[in-house]
Amino acid sequence: MTALLSVTSLHRQFGGLTAVRDLSFDVAEGEILGVIGPNGAGKTTAINLVSGVIPPTSGRVEFRGEDVTGLPPHRLVGRGIVRTFQSTTVYGDRTVRENGMRGAYLGLYPGFFATLFDTAHARRMRAEATAVVDELLDWLGLTEVAEDKAGSLPYGHQKTLGMIIALASRPRLIMLDEPVAGLGGGDADHVRDTIKRVRGRGITVIVIDHNMRFMSGLCDRVLVMHQGARLAVGTPQQVLADPAVIEAYLGKRHAALAGH
Amino acid sequence: MTDASLSPLALAPRAGGRPLAIAAAVVAVLALVPLVIADKFILSLGSTVFITAIAAASLHLIIRTGHISLGHAAFMGIGAYASVLTVMELGLPFAAGVLAAFVAPCLLALAIGPLVLRLTGKYFVLVTFLFGEIVRMVFVEWKSVTGGANGIFGIPAPAPVFNDPAAYYYLSLGAGVLLVGFIARLLASEVGRAIDAVRESERLAHCSGIPVLRLKVTIFALGCGIVGIAGALQGHFIRYVDPTSYSVVQSLNLVVVNVIGGMQTLVGPLVGTLFYLILPEMLRGYVELQRIIFGIILIIVMAFLPGGLVELGGRALQLVRRRAGS
Repeated sequence: MTALLSVTSLHRQFGGLTAVRDLSFDVAEGEILGVIGPNGAGKTTAINLVSGVIPPTSGRVEFRGEDVTGLPPHRLVGRGIVRTFQSTTVYGDRTVRENGMRGAYLGLYPGFFATLFDTAHARRMRAEATAVVDELLDWLGLTEVAEDKAGSLPYGHQKTLGMIIALASRPRLIMLDEPVAGLGGGDADHVRDTIKRVRGRGITVIVIDHNMRFMSGLCDRVLVMHQGARLAVGTPQQVLADPAVIEAYLGKRHAALAGH
Repeated sequence: MTDASLSPLALAPRAGGRPLAIAAAVVAVLALVPLVIADKFILSLGSTVFITAIAAASLHLIIRTGHISLGHAAFMGIGAYASVLTVMELGLPFAAGVLAAFVAPCLLALAIGPLVLRLTGKYFVLVTFLFGEIVRMVFVEWKSVTGGANGIFGIPAPAPVFNDPAAYYYLSLGAGVLLVGFIARLLASEVGRAIDAVRESERLAHCSGIPVLRLKVTIFALGCGIVGIAGALQGHFIRYVDPTSYSVVQSLNLVVVNVIGGMQTLVGPLVGTLFYLILPEMLRGYVELQRIIFGIILIIVMAFLPGGLVELGGRALQLVRRRAGS
């Protein structure tokens, strides 16, 4: 198996606190990898490191065989890595379609003078990007609200739009940070279907959440993090049966619940 | 920030037609003014308005990236001195002076931009304020070049013909159309889309592939270069440059012009310039109260129109539409 993304001994220190320690994992092309763990386990930091939002203290990130460690986000987007954010992040004052167009920036920007003079090349790129965005809006059911302000959409739609913004750059790998946080059960099921459909387009997915039930119905493999480090990795069934996972994650949680 | 797209006066991104037609009509009317009014004072005021409009619009460009510079007049001064020295010391033509007026502040902005544009909000404001003061001190202290606090006198007009106020009126109008037109075009292009994205959510923009810092530095350098040209036009217009003309007070004026007019569309600084320069002239009848009245009006505008004067136009249009609709 050749890995699409290969993370080796990733380490991140914030002052005296080690947020991520010696983290290694691979993601195969077309896979849905879940990253799970209790709050503070370092899941979001791990995604921030891979997506370039913060640089790692040490370690290595390889994407399609190329060392991309420490590259800033806009460079990684160009290579096909995008991510969404935990809190819904959309441009609230802009229309849904404009949000999508901004996500398609890389496929849209023809160069300084080309855009200034709106050359044929610039117009062609804009037409292509518009087609990509319109197709995504249609595909994920936001065409009807395309001209509405993003901020006026219900929460679930805003989450979908966040995904459209990420998908508009035509990524190979999309990383979703808690895509169902704050959503009800029905909406969560909808998001799960959406993620599967995204994978159906050949896009590899890394998804963060702490809800094991949601994850086990979605992911091919699950990476369990605990205190910044990798605790276990495997299919949801394997991981759920792992004594270390039960003790550190589920066990603790159950114990805490029982205590109240 | 309040709602951007509420304002129908917005130079809507990638929209052609109407804004362009309105702009063309305004320019046509302005071009006719010297044919109707021969008053030297009015024509000179016109030149001042156009030059200030260029400066205010160039600051608007920088503000659109989310950074309010309190050192913009310093770059204007650098442009003014660069042009004046190029013409008077090197004996080169005015065109070379204008080129120097663009390049000098632009290069300086490229040098400091990568550092200062990492700062946000009040920290950027403070650092640009200090930078403006440093530049002013250099103007004062570097006497052999800048003439110190006395400045430089006897600056020639760009060409003998421009001794005529009407000719200078056309020169500054032409420069205004060109430079403000350039800024409008830039803001309506994909660069403008990226600028707005960065201001509204830097994190999201960065993760959509927009090279945030490079964009900010580029725009900052362009804005500083353009205000340098405004400085050159001003220096050769009033025939005199000195450090106080480019102090923090002048930087603050440019910010106020933007705030008064509205910071969400390019129309804002243009309307603001008109208001800021014309209103005091209209209050000349009340010399003792002029500044007080002007100050009170400024406060009223800021208190009731957070989106600037442009918002007033927007509200009026909405009202008209609602009446027409019902």
